[in-house]
Amino acid sequence: MKVTNRRRIKLNKRTSSMIALAVLLVVTVFAGYVGLNGMNLDSRGLYKMLPWIPQTNVTKDTWPASIALGLDLQGGVFVEYEATMSDELKEEGYNFDQLLDNTMEIIGRRLSDKGFTEATVSQLGVTGIRVEIPDVTDPAAVLDLIGSPAKLEFLDYNGNVFLEGRYLKTATRTVDENSKPAISFQLTSEGAQIFGDMTAKSIGKTITIQLDGQELMSPSVHEAIYGGSILVTGSFTEEQADNYALQLQSGSLPLDLRQDRLDTVSATLGDDALGSSVNAAIIGILLVMLIMVWRYRLSGLLADWALCLYIILLFLFIAVVPGIQLTLPGIAGIILGIGMAVDANVVIFERVKEEALAGRPILHAVRIGFKNAMSAVVDANITTIIAAIVLLFFGTGSVQGFATTLLLSVVASMITAIIITRFLLTHMARILKNPKLYMTPKKMSARTAATDVKEAK
Amino acid sequence: MIIKNRLKLCAIISSVIMLTALVMTIFGYGINFGIDFAGGLSIEYNMNSAFQQSDVETALSNQGLSDFKVSTSGADGTILNIRIPKLDSNEEIQVLQAGLEAELLQSYPNMDVDTSTASYVGPTAGATLVKNAILSVLIASVLMLIYIAFRFDLYSGMAAVIGLLHDVLIMLSFMVLLRNVIQMNSSFIAAMLTIVGYSINNTIVIFDRIRENNAKPSYHSLPRDEIVNISISESLGRTVNTTLTTLVTIVSLYVLGVASIREFSLPIIVGIVSGLYSANMINGYVWAMLVEHKTAHKKSKKAKK
Repeated sequence: MKVTNRRRIKLNKRTSSMIALAVLLVVTVFAGYVGLNGMNLDSRGLYKMLPWIPQTNVTKDTWPASIALGLDLQGGVFVEYEATMSDELKEEGYNFDQLLDNTMEIIGRRLSDKGFTEATVSQLGVTGIRVEIPDVTDPAAVLDLIGSPAKLEFLDYNGNVFLEGRYLKTATRTVDENSKPAISFQLTSEGAQIFGDMTAKSIGKTITIQLDGQELMSPSVHEAIYGGSILVTGSFTEEQADNYALQLQSGSLPLDLRQDRLDTVSATLGDDALGSSVNAAIIGILLVMLIMVWRYRLSGLLADWALCLYIILLFLFIAVVPGIQLTLPGIAGIILGIGMAVDANVVIFERVKEEALAGRPILHAVRIGFKNAMSAVVDANITTIIAAIVLLFFGTGSVQGFATTLLLSVVASMITAIIITRFLLTHMARILKNPKLYMTPKKMSARTAATDVKEAK
Repeated sequence: MIIKNRLKLCAIISSVIMLTALVMTIFGYGINFGIDFAGGLSIEYNMNSAFQQSDVETALSNQGLSDFKVSTSGADGTILNIRIPKLDSNEEIQVLQAGLEAELLQSYPNMDVDTSTASYVGPTAGATLVKNAILSVLIASVLMLIYIAFRFDLYSGMAAVIGLLHDVLIMLSFMVLLRNVIQMNSSFIAAMLTIVGYSINNTIVIFDRIRENNAKPSYHSLPRDEIVNISISESLGRTVNTTLTTLVTIVSLYVLGVASIREFSLPIIVGIVSGLYSANMINGYVWAMLVEHKTAHKKSKKAKK
């Protein structure tokens, strides 16, 4: 009675393991298919799941739209500036960080006003500014816009310059009391004093505002204006007022910028880089899979299965989490991460093999092997994570792209190696119990020989 | 396979590599710094046909330049690379590029002007990069020391970090030895840090085994480096196979990748191989040496008392 009972339970365990593996296999194949091809969620194709896994010989056009590409792969221009604060502003006690924010905002606005809506402006380290503009190959047009700020001058009625752009804090479009478009600008305290003194002397006359030597406007002065808050009215259209305000603002980037780096990547070179690295990734993955099967047989096959799931999940993650751009070094990080992903499996399988060779049944060997390998696996991954985090702090631009994906893939690989491989291996060990399936026979005899030698000592 | 203590031989091999690189550097054949470190302007054009380098050189001289380097790349030699080490402002670049393109177009009407790639790096960027590189390796090493010392013991931490610095120095040495093949750019920092994080993995696997074996009562009578021998031999399958899988992916990147990817993957390949070597041949024995030295020191102190 008891015996049959136990048998039934054993059989059930085996069957349930088979079902578990079959279900996961279906899930893997389905997720892989959707990842590669996308899927319509309703019959009319209104709701669609976009593909997120890149295919062989991929180009920019066939790249899955759900994963944003970095500038080095998409083509475009990026510029890095080093910002410094002038001595005058320092003496006036301005906050550098605040001015840096203003500068970045102005650059961003200027670019989007000119139609570069995909341009991004970001801070680089403490004093740097990085500007990225995709899909542009002629840096000159862009740099004219940012690189050499226009020179703003205020001229008195004799045509002498009495005030310069550096005294301007802000210029914005607004409306006057009659709801007509006007420009309001705010001077620094020093500028306000100079402007006040000059307007006091110029009542009834005109002053001129020049941008790069070209006259912007010549308003007439009705009264002395102190306080630095000035409203310029005239016969502007709304658009003109906007443009003038922008140009005035442009004439006075709050900080001095020095161009430190400029990179132009053509779209075709980006395509080459993209295609070849994705092909390298695919070949690398296939080789790793072969090595795993060659070295660890059934266990290796299960590790390959886990690796497929890891790749599906990693790319899904990159596609879903906003703000991740895949750069060339980023792809390198993923490929390296895949190589490292199976490291944990190797460490675990070697332990399992050891236990199996010591005569334990394979299910026990799997349990003990995982337990013994865990500390080495966790330690090894944590050190890589530490290095990637240091790199995130010290790296610039492209190096950070590498650090981000390396970090992501190490974390994801550790999770798949520990959770998914254990799941697969435990269930498989319930179905197929012959330990020889889980290791290479040649290796086995070599290892026993080594143990024999040791024992003989 | 039983590994034996060959620390002295390994020390000689590693020193020879490093000293060769040092001597080459002293005699002016040091690291081939790329644009990220050295600064300047680098332009690349697809000429779409074969071209004479001398034509390009003449065109550059006509632009008033004397200091430049012209080279050819691409499978059929139709890609033109120009390096100009000293250039100050961005306006200069635009004027120069426009003039150069106009002149080259006369002789090579097929050249692709719109798909050029240009990189400009200011003269001060390199110094920041060097500072960051040294700082990041030092900080990462200290963090590794703390982590390993916390998980194992201080001597393991010291031995592991000696191994790390060895690997980084070997990578730097190979940047000198392979100066004709590879330039050093900012991606080298990423490569170094990757190795700092990765090559310690093998060391951890071995140290883990050493710790386990060290605790076995039957091994108590054995000298430390004998325990290290056994531990390394037992872990060899692990360390070789983990290195093999990672090496395979990075080698396929090197073989198929574009120039900037090669610049990045070659130092990593060197670092991974060096990491396997130092983990199996150096780190464990350094640990054994440090521990033996300490116990010997204690014993001699006791003897004096």
